[in-house]
Amino acid sequence: MMRPFAGVRNTENLLLPAAALAVAAGLAGGAFALSGAPAAERTVAIRPIQTPGGGYVSSDTCRACHPSEYASWHASFHRTMTQIAAPDTVATPFDGVTIEVIPGEPIRLDERGRELWAEFADPDDRPSSDPGRNGGAPGARITRQIVMTTGSHNQQIYWYATGGSRVLGQLPAIWLTGERRWIPRRAAIMSPPGAHVSETGAWNGVCVACHATNGQPRLDAPFGSRPAAALTADTRAAEFGIACEACHGPADAHVRANRNPLRRYALHFRVDARDETIVQPERLDPLRASQVCGQCHSFWEFADARAERTANASGLPYRPGDDLAATRFIVQPTRNLDTPIARAFVQADPGFVRDIFWSDGMIRATGREYNALLDSPCFRDAPDAAHTMTCFSCHAMHKAADDPRPAASWADQQLAPQGMDDAACVRCHTVADDHSHHRAGSPGRACANCHMPRTTYGLLKTIRSHQISSPSVQAALDTGRPDACSLCHLDKTLAWTAAALEDWYGIAQPPLGDDERGVAASLLWLLKGDAGQRAIVAQAMGWDAAQQASGSAWLAPYLAVTERDQYDAVRLIAARARRTLPPFRRDALPRASPQLLLTADGSFDAARVDRLVRERSNRRVVYRE
Amino acid sequence: MFGGLGLVLESLQGFKIAAYLDVSNETRRLMWRLAHAHGTLLAVVNILFALTVAARPPAAAQRLSRISTTLVAATFLLPIGFFAGGIVVYGGDPGVAVLLVPIGAVLLLLALFWIARGVE
Repeated sequence: MMRPFAGVRNTENLLLPAAALAVAAGLAGGAFALSGAPAAERTVAIRPIQTPGGGYVSSDTCRACHPSEYASWHASFHRTMTQIAAPDTVATPFDGVTIEVIPGEPIRLDERGRELWAEFADPDDRPSSDPGRNGGAPGARITRQIVMTTGSHNQQIYWYATGGSRVLGQLPAIWLTGERRWIPRRAAIMSPPGAHVSETGAWNGVCVACHATNGQPRLDAPFGSRPAAALTADTRAAEFGIACEACHGPADAHVRANRNPLRRYALHFRVDARDETIVQPERLDPLRASQVCGQCHSFWEFADARAERTANASGLPYRPGDDLAATRFIVQPTRNLDTPIARAFVQADPGFVRDIFWSDGMIRATGREYNALLDSPCFRDAPDAAHTMTCFSCHAMHKAADDPRPAASWADQQLAPQGMDDAACVRCHTVADDHSHHRAGSPGRACANCHMPRTTYGLLKTIRSHQISSPSVQAALDTGRPDACSLCHLDKTLAWTAAALEDWYGIAQPPLGDDERGVAASLLWLLKGDAGQRAIVAQAMGWDAAQQASGSAWLAPYLAVTERDQYDAVRLIAARARRTLPPFRRDALPRASPQLLLTADGSFDAARVDRLVRERSNRRVVYRE
Repeated sequence: MFGGLGLVLESLQGFKIAAYLDVSNETRRLMWRLAHAHGTLLAVVNILFALTVAARPPAAAQRLSRISTTLVAATFLLPIGFFAGGIVVYGGDPGVAVLLVPIGAVLLLLALFWIARGVE
């Protein structure tokens, strides 16, 4: 008779193999447990490192239980705000590339296996009296390893290991992702022509605060207090990029509590379950919810040197859910310009407020949307929490499962489905059908085009003002901020706009000068305005809606003039706008159009153009982007 | 049945069905793949067990019947627990039907233990 398992006499014979199996399993388990530790990162000495701790666990841990949220975050530009440089994280190839965007200072890139290297003129090798690239000799050639990157959405900045502890230097050229080309780093910033400023140590001392999660500069002296070459740093972050815990807070307690499956399932089955071990920004009150974004999207300063020292050693103390104002001075000219702290900052730097706010206190630089929200009537004057605008009224940090858009489309602005088109506004506002006085479906009908015009500048483009406002000629006159009407109706004068606003909304017309009555407002700002105004109008001239409303035949010559602007950023925007235009045809120019400075025969009124350019505001414009 | 589930999963994959493939359904995908794998492999175990039954003395029939019942129960509970646990998921957690899985696993271990004890 057949005897199954004939070779096995009894279960005792299984003891030895079972013991061997147990030992093997133990060894494998130990190796598996250790594999999760970032041992390789700890051995890196030439750049800042990622070391979860202090309650931070990193997004890898979050992924196990929140795969969908992890995936949408992974697709976002928040994740890639800071990356370790490698062939697969840089936005453009490095292998054998020579960049020649700085006259006389080629930058040679190379890939050595997974390492990226660059040879270039040392930005720190310039005498302090050196007037800059225009007048000074290039620094000595150096070869450095590119170790980190900043950004990936609009542009990518590259950081090299200086060799001095973890202090990073900045490659003097950056990559524009949209236009797919290199430009000098200094051209990417709205600043007057002049000396190239070394940004060595800037990542460690400044960028780390918001381009990493729980960044700790650990500089041996405050950034800027000594020459970059003398700086040392042991810069660390819980995680590079803006990761889960930047918005949800340190998750260690949450992770530990939810190892218990009974707790998890109890939460799953409770209606309106709230896990108190983690912060859900959208469930905070409107102010605190917006402060989660505002921790980075605001213009703030340390309240005192002690706060700065503490942040240098252990990172910023703010945690999601805290009162942001308790640990930082949020600069808000409409509220605290007359405080001792603000006065001290303005005294130390006259451009402290002027370079980032319009004169009425509205923010004019990108990345400070929390400041704009604070002064928006939809936030400031809201009757209750349910009707208070927050960042989440329009934006979603995670793409909803039922959102049909591709992840890349959502990631561009991280707009929530309820924040697109007019949806966010009509939740609270009911307006008459003829409120906008523009035909249905036209750009002038969209709430945002009138109440959130593109008057905020940063990263070589303008974005919508996040301070909700209504078109006002008086505000345009008082502040120099282009009004929404004039940014679309580029061919109209301020007098035309004022008359329309009076006719439609009963807004009294302010007194206007000859130019405001006789020359298109856009041209006044483009020819007479400061660099910030010129950039705003130049970009508007590339907007298809404005071209349709105003005609495009007359724009090219003005953009061509603007392409010779003394500010790199203005030139670049003007060139980008001109590329949107059809080929220039002189015979297509409007005739006898004095508001466009065109004479009866279709030629430009050179005398008036020259006069306006002579009256240009040449004040020094430096945006704190 | 669970072999057939593999065909269904292949179809879901082939036709790129979001309810199965979207990243938010990662847990469902895992659960259903586990259901397919466990169901199919346990079916094979049952077949192998059935082959050995013919070789057992008639006196062991009652014991074999008990083992068979336990094995069949495990064969249903394990994959059904996985499959049902994947119908409703909570992020990284499967639905409560996944509780059938440990019950099935215990029954499977019990059946294997009885089989091992019966080997002489």
